[in-house]
Amino acid sequence: MCGLAGILRASGRTPSSQSPRDVSLDSLARMAAALRHRGPDGYGFFADRRAGLAHVRLSIIDLAGGAQPLANEDERLVVVFNGEIYNYVELTSELRALGHTFRTRTDTEVLVHGWEEWGGGLFERLNGQFAFVIYDRLRHTAVLARDRFGIRPLFYADPARHFGDLLVASEAKALFASGEVTAEPDLTGLDEVFTFWSARAPRTVFGGIQQLPPGCWALWRDGALVTRRYWEPSYEASEEEPTEAVDRLDALLRSSVALRMRADVPVGAYVSGGLDSTITSALAADASPFSLRTFSIGFEDPHLDERPHQRAVAAALGTRHAETAIDVDDVAAIFPAVISHCETPLVRTAPAPMYLLARLTREHEIKVVLTGEGSDELFLGYDLFKETVLRRFCARRPESKLRPRLFERLYPYLGHGGRGGELWARSFLDASALGDPLASHMPRFSLTSRIKDFYRDEVRDALAGTDVLADLRGDLPAPWSSWSEVERAAWLETTTLLSGYLLSSQGDRMALAHGLEGRFPFLDHRLFSFAASLPVRSRLRGLKEKDILHRWARERLPSALPRRPKQPYRAPDAAAFFGASRPPEYLDELLDTPALAEVGLFEPSAVAGLVRRCRSGRATGFLENQALVAVLSAQIWYERFIGSAPEGSALPLDDADVLLGDSVHAPVDSDANRETWTEK
Amino acid sequence: MSEADILQQVLSFVVANFLYMRRNKDLKEDDSLLRNGVITSLGVMELVDWVEETFGVQVEPGEITEQNFDTARSVAQFVRAKSAAMAAT
Repeated sequence: MCGLAGILRASGRTPSSQSPRDVSLDSLARMAAALRHRGPDGYGFFADRRAGLAHVRLSIIDLAGGAQPLANEDERLVVVFNGEIYNYVELTSELRALGHTFRTRTDTEVLVHGWEEWGGGLFERLNGQFAFVIYDRLRHTAVLARDRFGIRPLFYADPARHFGDLLVASEAKALFASGEVTAEPDLTGLDEVFTFWSARAPRTVFGGIQQLPPGCWALWRDGALVTRRYWEPSYEASEEEPTEAVDRLDALLRSSVALRMRADVPVGAYVSGGLDSTITSALAADASPFSLRTFSIGFEDPHLDERPHQRAVAAALGTRHAETAIDVDDVAAIFPAVISHCETPLVRTAPAPMYLLARLTREHEIKVVLTGEGSDELFLGYDLFKETVLRRFCARRPESKLRPRLFERLYPYLGHGGRGGELWARSFLDASALGDPLASHMPRFSLTSRIKDFYRDEVRDALAGTDVLADLRGDLPAPWSSWSEVERAAWLETTTLLSGYLLSSQGDRMALAHGLEGRFPFLDHRLFSFAASLPVRSRLRGLKEKDILHRWARERLPSALPRRPKQPYRAPDAAAFFGASRPPEYLDELLDTPALAEVGLFEPSAVAGLVRRCRSGRATGFLENQALVAVLSAQIWYERFIGSAPEGSALPLDDADVLLGDSVHAPVDSDANRETWTEK
Repeated sequence: MSEADILQQVLSFVVANFLYMRRNKDLKEDDSLLRNGVITSLGVMELVDWVEETFGVQVEPGEITEQNFDTARSVAQFVRAKSAAMAAT
């Protein structure tokens, strides 16, 4: 896993005294420094008069020969790449047969030859998690691409704001470090966070900064970037489950895990205690020639802690297991660092434990882990899908008193010991009209939107013409009407929460904060297509989630493995800050009236009311917990990115593993002995 | 305690604890607390706890209904009736 950055100057633009014409190596070195956590093992640069690329490397495949940037045989195409192409062995053979000469045995090289050979047909051939930039020196064009689910990030500054220049990077902080891009908030992007939990690609929380949407590639030419989609989640459920479906699932799961075990370093696994990570760990243990290393995190709070389940899974699989536990003080202590890595406000603290888990894993010298992410989206595991079915079930017999009681079975931990009764069920039934295409998600979107009650009037006025829900309704894909209600819910879940939040704030950013690469066997697109072709009842049978996966597990997993009901993953929110034995110092500094007024998002008197309720221990509901996390994280986010200058440190060119291009012999920094176009 | 006094206390409690972030919202005696999102289901539990503590009445699970808890007035009437029933026993 790695980080990448680039500056590409538009040709033919009008020279301006305000904008630089050439590419400064120093800018590239500062961008690389901002991404160093993603690639602590090495770095390299390409620079000529009109284009520069930087790469920081986490060495996983071809440890000796895999340094980047990397060029093709005639040195016309140069690539920087973050991620993995799991089927690179097969693609390499195919491209060799077509006459391409490979100089390394890396997956990176597949990209340049593949682009030469197939052009825009390359992307659908890739099985992997990736973000990359290929620069064509002859044509002075660039290709950007991102994997199907958005596992790896790719941000860019809108070329229209930069005279057609393209500034691109794995994280927005590298764009700011270039010195050419100014950080400013995007109010609509923030409003999306306070609705969907994250901004929706291509939008981000920064004005003038966009992200390449998952499943898309883009061509930069003549100062403009044109985006095209090569993949989108789609559902084609069959009437009947094929007789060999469980065998097919077995083959796909094993193949998906085997591909993700490809690495020149040991691969470990996360164990959450639930079914999905048990499956990925069990198959990884099977496929590994060594005793598998597994990692898990628990909570000191016994209501949230799952360590007994995690230990039982590890014991049954015979893995070498390591665990850590966090208490409320830990969350508060690392929260500012978590926000710096996420680069967005949050509505839950849930990324924080993942940050600690990544750190634990890296301390055990494991650089790659498999996790169970994606299974709940593919196989309809979330309660939200059952809720969707239940609301429809209740709507068919609105006079029934019994049907709404099923919500209590769905959410026993929220049922207030049976005291919630009919009122509580009503909150789901009233959440939205069932005719709304977003009906499945309106309970969550409406609840999250209550954060906006805390907006300042000026923010509300500025957003008067903005309706992020209407925007989403306008972006629904063409086959929408042919899908069932739960499949629509699955599409919404995959394209909003999974891509925008789970894989990013809880995934890529927390792992790469510590130079750790996550791999997700369930997010193999072949497995997705398989799941999407099954009848809905094979995935969600009545109120039983992931039916076919459970059937597979009963047959194929060791019977000693513990079975237990699904648990939602939760972390302490307001309690992490107000319940801490030593409340963090930044709490008062960031939530007082002058600090809130400076940021200008939230109304100080409303936040004062929230703080009062948090201090007295009364803020126990979702509504106030999420508001506290939102306000606090937005304040930290603003302070880190908008309110202070970007870090100015630069990686020294002398220590680079790779220096390519005509400009790397800039008289100031470069090593006079190093030859242009050679790799160290 | 008169029903009017109880009503004032209920309105103050709801505004201070559930509407402090909605500065422009004016809560009326007959406004629905549940349908306008003033109070969530968990908020109802907080309101029930407060009613029990403040007015010394015991709320049975079967009494946590829309009829009794949907408006400030219905809460006041419910509390008044419960207090009267307790005083009578």
